[in-house]
Amino acid sequence: MSGLRRRLRPLFIPALAVLSAFLVGSIFLVLTDLKNIALLPTDPVHAVTNAFGDVLNAYRALLQGAFGDPARFATAMQTGTPKAWATAFRPISETLLAATPLIFTGLAIAVSFRSGVFNIGGDGQFVLGALGATIVALALRGAPAPVTLVAALIGGIVFGAAWGFIPGFLKARTGAHEVITTIMLNYVALQIVQLSLRTDFLRQSSSSQPISKVLDFVRVPLLIPLTGLRLHWGFVVALLVAVLVSWFMFKTTKGFELRSAGLNLTAARYAGMSAGGSIILAMAVSGALAGLGGAFQVMGTVTQMSNDVNSGYGWTAIALALLGGTRPGGVVAAALLFGALNNGGHGMQVETSIPLDLLVFIQALVIMFVAAPNLVRMIYRLKPKGSEPGAPAEEGAAA
Amino acid sequence: MRLELRDITKQFPGVLANDRISIAADRGKVLGLLGENGAGKTTLMNILSGLYRPDSGQILVDGEPRTFNDPAEAIKAGIGMVHQHFMLVPVFDVVESVALGEEPVRGVLGTFDRSAARARVVELSNQYGLDVDPDARIEDLPVGVRQRVEILKALYRHSDVLVLDEPSAVLTPGETEELFGIIRSLAAGGTTVIFITHKLNEVLEVADTITVLRRGRVAGTVLPHETTREELANLMVGRDVELTVVRGEAHPGEVVLELKDVFVRDDRDEMAIKGVTLEVRAGEIVAVAGVQGNGQTELVEAITGLRRVDSGHMAVGGQAIDGASPRKVSDMGVAHIPEDRTRDGLIKAMTVAENYVLDSYHREPYSHGVRLNRKAIAEHASTGVQEFDIRTPSIETHVGNLSGGNQQKVIVAREFSRPVKLVVASQPTRGLDVGSIEYIHRRIIEQRDAGAAILIVSTELDEVLALGDRVAVMFAGRIVGILPSAQATKEAVGMLMGGVH
Amino acid sequence: MTAAATPVDVILPQASEAERRALRFARVRGIIFAALGLIAFLFASNTMDTQATFKFWLNASGGSELSISASAGVLWILAGVITGATGIYQLTRGAGVRWRRWLALMLPFWIAATVGTLLAGKPAVLTQVFAGSLEYAFPISMGAFAAMICERSGMLNIAIEGKFLIGACAGSVAASMTGWVIAGPIVGMILGALVGLLMAWLAIEHKVDQIISGTVVNFGALGITNFIYLRILQLNTDLNTPPTIETVQIPVLSQIPVIGPILFSGTPYLYLAIVVMFALTYMLFRTRWGLRLRASGEYPQAAGTVGVDVIRIRYRAMMLAGAIAGLAGSYLSLHSAGSFQMNMSAGKGFIAIAAMIFGGWNPIGAFGAALVFGFSDATQALLSSLGVDVPPQLLTSVPYLVTIVVVAGLVGRVRGPAMAGVPYEQG
Repeated sequence: MSGLRRRLRPLFIPALAVLSAFLVGSIFLVLTDLKNIALLPTDPVHAVTNAFGDVLNAYRALLQGAFGDPARFATAMQTGTPKAWATAFRPISETLLAATPLIFTGLAIAVSFRSGVFNIGGDGQFVLGALGATIVALALRGAPAPVTLVAALIGGIVFGAAWGFIPGFLKARTGAHEVITTIMLNYVALQIVQLSLRTDFLRQSSSSQPISKVLDFVRVPLLIPLTGLRLHWGFVVALLVAVLVSWFMFKTTKGFELRSAGLNLTAARYAGMSAGGSIILAMAVSGALAGLGGAFQVMGTVTQMSNDVNSGYGWTAIALALLGGTRPGGVVAAALLFGALNNGGHGMQVETSIPLDLLVFIQALVIMFVAAPNLVRMIYRLKPKGSEPGAPAEEGAAA
Repeated sequence: MRLELRDITKQFPGVLANDRISIAADRGKVLGLLGENGAGKTTLMNILSGLYRPDSGQILVDGEPRTFNDPAEAIKAGIGMVHQHFMLVPVFDVVESVALGEEPVRGVLGTFDRSAARARVVELSNQYGLDVDPDARIEDLPVGVRQRVEILKALYRHSDVLVLDEPSAVLTPGETEELFGIIRSLAAGGTTVIFITHKLNEVLEVADTITVLRRGRVAGTVLPHETTREELANLMVGRDVELTVVRGEAHPGEVVLELKDVFVRDDRDEMAIKGVTLEVRAGEIVAVAGVQGNGQTELVEAITGLRRVDSGHMAVGGQAIDGASPRKVSDMGVAHIPEDRTRDGLIKAMTVAENYVLDSYHREPYSHGVRLNRKAIAEHASTGVQEFDIRTPSIETHVGNLSGGNQQKVIVAREFSRPVKLVVASQPTRGLDVGSIEYIHRRIIEQRDAGAAILIVSTELDEVLALGDRVAVMFAGRIVGILPSAQATKEAVGMLMGGVH
Repeated sequence: MTAAATPVDVILPQASEAERRALRFARVRGIIFAALGLIAFLFASNTMDTQATFKFWLNASGGSELSISASAGVLWILAGVITGATGIYQLTRGAGVRWRRWLALMLPFWIAATVGTLLAGKPAVLTQVFAGSLEYAFPISMGAFAAMICERSGMLNIAIEGKFLIGACAGSVAASMTGWVIAGPIVGMILGALVGLLMAWLAIEHKVDQIISGTVVNFGALGITNFIYLRILQLNTDLNTPPTIETVQIPVLSQIPVIGPILFSGTPYLYLAIVVMFALTYMLFRTRWGLRLRASGEYPQAAGTVGVDVIRIRYRAMMLAGAIAGLAGSYLSLHSAGSFQMNMSAGKGFIAIAAMIFGGWNPIGAFGAALVFGFSDATQALLSSLGVDVPPQLLTSVPYLVTIVVVAGLVGRVRGPAMAGVPYEQG
């Protein structure tokens, strides 16, 4: 078969999965429109057309919220003012911005899956990374901005890595199941953040909420110097980190060890690799990546550290890792998709009052369909396949 | 009951496990099924117990042909199987384990009538002399007692036929004697017993009839008092096709591998190696023969650093390797060809090239510090593929797609492509075609002639005799004999393998 | 023929590795206990003057109280004595000592002493604390029961959280729509069972990893319940105002002073949990169903070879567990809050899993663990209501930290069913 077809083949099932998830979501959308349902007995034709219209409208709003309104682009080209351009590009900028933390956490989970460990602690590592960055930034207040920024990012990495190291170490030494320990540590992390935000050092003095001082003295530089576009260099760094992770996993000795451990821990042991070492390294790297994501989030996207800095990125990351076939490139693509969904969902909610939680539901369905490719095949009556290239590698990770 | 298996044939991909096998056992009699690994005994018994279906042939119970679609049907027909690996839930007690699946219940909630079950267990214990504490937990019981629980399981279900698969493999000599007493009383009570083993003494002692299996066929059926150990050994290992590899004279040099009084525990914390002392010199091949399960696996794991030694001393080239990690042992110049190539030796989802450097990627020139040198790896792998004639579309092919022979060649090529002092090879040609077997044997001999010390562990007697300059035999965790090649005849080795010494 | 020297039956060498390690741990424990005992005495010397006053309501409606006062220092001394004695005992007797029982004995004294010290003289009404512990324990323990049934059968279930939410939402709506309170739990059970069926099907039929199917349910439940709330319930509040469940006062028993208001006057859900706890304990350890269930989780091959239908057992277990979790979910909306709120469960599903682990995978232990967690939660509420300046986060973290300690085997090997989460292949 042609090279292009072969390239696209692994995308086939995930694409169908996304499509099916949207279909189910649409059904729920229609069924929960009580006014429309009430219309059914009296005016069925209108009820049905309304339903279709609502669904299409919702998805249009979703797309526009994610990528932009053609009308606004037209206006921008006509008037040429910076403001018009900013307005036109805002949706895409926000989408990429929304994708940034997802890229980091998605990579984190992908690395862990590849190495045979289930890191469910992305949330905790992310949030502690943000905390670490905040602490360092406030501690170095007054120093030259680039120094503070870099130090803060490193702080985020260190905090995240430490939070990943703990469950890794426990697993290597005591066999403690990393699924349980990472989930528990997620909650402990939240408590640590709450506690820290009560201290005078961090707390915003004017507020009684658990929220930190405003971090306006050092920010990650914006990517496009137009007011109204919040996209910052964190996005670019995320892409670079994806390349770095790819290099690490496929071109270095340690990456080789991690992949071997994930594919066949016994053979890796027999060949002389240290099983415990691989586990610990995988978890620490995973935590570091998530932590970096948190650091960028608090230094670039939001202005203050609070518990809301994380919105389930750790769990979404699991979906991303699966969807992307645990390959860095795939994870980035999946993160962009989910970023579009999340951001577009906001726009959809604003325009149509449809709660964006529908998209959370749809994302869950996406995970389900991707994880059960035979289910998708069953639904669409496709031929069962042998080995699915691009499907998640069967890790040695026993759940 | 009278049990008969007629012309049972079972084919697996690549191997004819059972080739028109016919055996028969009468009520109240003990049939001894003798054979070494790969003879087809376990497959035959799995067919009998309903786990497999035969490709052709019949199972006749009291003259009536029966088919079993699953173990439950076989159990219903009265066939009780005592597997080599016990099917007992560790946290259950004896009563629960025996009754599982056949529990007496009482009341509307399905309450387990433990006292009724317990009473029956006690009754059966007394009747057959199976001394077991019914309230003890399985995980607290020694292996010999667990076996009795398995036997009780079969009796509890009114088995008329009891099949015991290598029962003495896990017993001490004393426990084995007790087991024989139990078998005799079972037979006296009318139960038909089929006793599978590779140990000549046992089968001579307890069986009423002996059927010997070899390579999927019946090699002969004899009566114990009409045969000798030598004849049995002969039937068991046979007069097969001699492999044509030419092995010249060995010129042993200094001692490379030294094992002294080594004790090693297995995964169940039982002593698997009970005081092994062995030397392997440079330029010689020591082949360790023995039926699977006599400690060979643990011995190899201990030498290669994969298993801790309980006590004793091991050294390679004079340097101690007690407690060394696998990598350290490997760095000392030890090559390891593991027993199970797809589980232990290769990563199927990785490429030939990647597998080629699985144990050497951390050394120059395959990596500079942290960075892998893909070019050097590719060159090395290509050289290896050419030199060892590995049939693969490319070095980037996933190794799982290669045939068994080529997979093994990748491992052999990998291990032999660097200078090594000691080669430890475990079942190096298991499951391979004749061509690959010859090839690998040739390379091993080449290594010997280049001055390496070679330790081969194999359950294939032909391989052992073909390669071994000296032949050691392991039985029940000890080395029961070391014969120089000239004295290592099939009969002699066969007897040692069967525990006669 | 020549033969290597064949030794006579060798007397096997020294004690096994496991025994040596156990002795080491025992020594370390002994030293830790002894040190803790000394620390307790230190605290005692500082707090001899601090009065710790604990109050209990005499009957359910408050009013008259029973008051117990003691010097905090005395409490510390008692704690120190027991702890130190345990330490010495452990050091002298070695590995065989049943130190966990002593730990359980010394804990109440440590807790009483600590709380008393922190209160610094303010009186604390403990009735609320204990009653609150029980209330908290209900959803947690039911969730733990659900997770336990699954794991005992060999399936992992981390979707308790999701089932709680579905039960809460559906329960509130059902009760509001029908006007019957009982509709809530029933609908919760039905939907929970269906979700359990879905998860079982995904895991068994499609070999989806059970962590992933659990994540799907958690995610999906959060999304769909939030969506329903925002889209329908916020506007049509009549669908979200269920009739309330009254607390039940058990006749006669609830009049017992001190204990009555704590144990015998509470929500009917609580008594349901206790009934379920006993029922499950019986079913799990005394019936044929329980025996086969446990076999399926520990060593399914052993069960399979004797004809037990492991797959069917697992399907049923997941459905039963789903029903229990859904039922517990309905409690959240019908009792505590009076209506469904978004993300009501707020992590309780995972605390339930923690309780299961801490409780050693059996119903009574799980209930006890839920009580312990409830106690720490209620204590934290007490302390903050009395203005004690202890960060609430410390106590809130207790369930999670305790679980990690347990899972890491630091208080001994608490082993879950050996084959939990591993797909079963027949023959």
